[in-house]
Amino acid sequence: MSSSHPAAAYSRAPGREIELDVATQDCQIHMGPQHPATHGVMRVLLKADGEVLSGAQTHLGYLHRSAEKIGEMVDWLQYLPYTDRYDYLCAMNNNLGYSLGVEKLLGLEAPERAQYLRVILSELNRIASHLFAVGTYGLDLGAFTPLFTALRDREIVLDLFERICGARLTYSFIRPGGLWNDAPEGWLEDVAAFLDLFEKRWHEYWTLVVENRIFIERTADVGVLSAEQAIDWGCSGPMLRGSGVDWDLRRDQPYQVYDRLEFEVVKGSGYRGSVGDCFDRTFVRMFEMTESIRIVRQCLEQMEPGPVHNPEVKSVIRPAPGSAYCGIENPRGELGHYLVSDGSKIAVRVRVRAPSFCNLSVAEHLMPGSMLGDAAAIIGSVDIVVGETDR
Amino acid sequence: MKAAGHVSWGGGGQIEAAQRIAARAAEAGLPLQLHLPNLPPLAEEGEARRLARKPREENPEYEWRGDPYLQVMDPAVVCDLLRWLREQCGFVQLYDLSAVDPAADAPELWVVYGLLNLAEKVRLELRLGLNKEHLSVPSVVAVHQAADWHEREAAEMFGIVFEGHPDPRALLLPEDWDGFPLRKDYEFPDQYQGISCT
Repeated sequence: MSSSHPAAAYSRAPGREIELDVATQDCQIHMGPQHPATHGVMRVLLKADGEVLSGAQTHLGYLHRSAEKIGEMVDWLQYLPYTDRYDYLCAMNNNLGYSLGVEKLLGLEAPERAQYLRVILSELNRIASHLFAVGTYGLDLGAFTPLFTALRDREIVLDLFERICGARLTYSFIRPGGLWNDAPEGWLEDVAAFLDLFEKRWHEYWTLVVENRIFIERTADVGVLSAEQAIDWGCSGPMLRGSGVDWDLRRDQPYQVYDRLEFEVVKGSGYRGSVGDCFDRTFVRMFEMTESIRIVRQCLEQMEPGPVHNPEVKSVIRPAPGSAYCGIENPRGELGHYLVSDGSKIAVRVRVRAPSFCNLSVAEHLMPGSMLGDAAAIIGSVDIVVGETDR
Repeated sequence: MKAAGHVSWGGGGQIEAAQRIAARAAEAGLPLQLHLPNLPPLAEEGEARRLARKPREENPEYEWRGDPYLQVMDPAVVCDLLRWLREQCGFVQLYDLSAVDPAADAPELWVVYGLLNLAEKVRLELRLGLNKEHLSVPSVVAVHQAADWHEREAAEMFGIVFEGHPDPRALLLPEDWDGFPLRKDYEFPDQYQGISCT
């Protein structure tokens, strides 16, 4: 616990010795399963000594839908819609992760235009997801306005997605071999117009949320996660980078056309508190949105007309026997698919390494020692989607 | 700039890394065996060969495509092995731990450990065969905290006992769930607590 934390002041307060003579009892509090800050249905059992948390235990499984078992019962391509449903805030990225895994097993790749469109779609989805993350984080901390302003711009992205694939949340648009379809006429111009608009509005979020005095007080120096801990607990994405670790799969193990694009990997620097606190994780998400704008602009500039689907991939595919792991950088961290094929049209194993699952596992260890009111701040800063932790 | 849409087979230097680690493990006397994929990418495969490729049941030769892996020959050493990989080879993150049941009649399950070296930017896959008659393996939580929830999940889904796990409760399933759902011989229940499942 850092010295500036309110709980530290509490333990130093005069009269503490007298209080210790009073018989006290730890209080158990059930947070969830129906609690807005759990972003889904999840229960956290908190143990509190007065206002200070002395323990936390996460209970999962309320949204378990056996996605991995379903993967062993349907065709390779039929599984695609299930990937939309692990992390429903960034379904494009989920589609991409699974498709790349299948392509790796098949031993082929998507045409170049499809790869550029995939990057555009997944970066737009990253903007939408981070907007939602920052907005709902405001809500977790007691501010309603950020969510509504964030949804305003997220709607524009969802409208763009609706025009390209017909769905607003569960797309199944990126598929093994390429894309379902090319972008409709005028779509790419509208993406460029959205980027121009969003670049201006980004500053609104920055001043409304991140530079807000109350937001800083609630998040700085709260839930500090060290770099060593973050690596040891298998954290990835903004959770890992918030702790100052310089790691981004888009740059360090590039997939698709990311190796042709220039962007910065944003890291937490202790801008308002210490490195790896809740503020830094939000800071990383905010600046990743500006990097996504840069990436999409470069894609729009570089891409050329061409086919968007590899004709080798038919409706029924039989990847060669083997196993492949494919990890991509989702908004929440590394989404990995470990696929095992025996050469038949149904997978032997579809293992999903979900980023929120690993990131959440550390949260219960960040809570002891912090204030009861910070529990929502810590869970919110992890940015979990329970559909993904439970699968 | 790489060629258009380059797919880094084996995840960018993964085959070289696996070869290097296998050689070092042999020097250190650790029981690891290297397995490399022997099917080329589809684009490099000749048309005739592609047409001749048959499903596994008709194809006795073991040919496969994908990532290389290191087979751990002795489950008892898995903690020492991960500690050695962490301290001597820089594999500091356990990004995934899961199990695979290859077939209902297969004698073994696999436990798969995915390790990441952040400095050299390479992944390493370790695979451990466990006889279905005796599904027990030491827990690696003491080496990598990340294994905590992954082992709990693998335990309830496959019925593997992770010896020495600090908190071996069920994670995603109810405590009283019967059977191990991700095993190939799993039979779907008709009801759970009086609620029909069909």
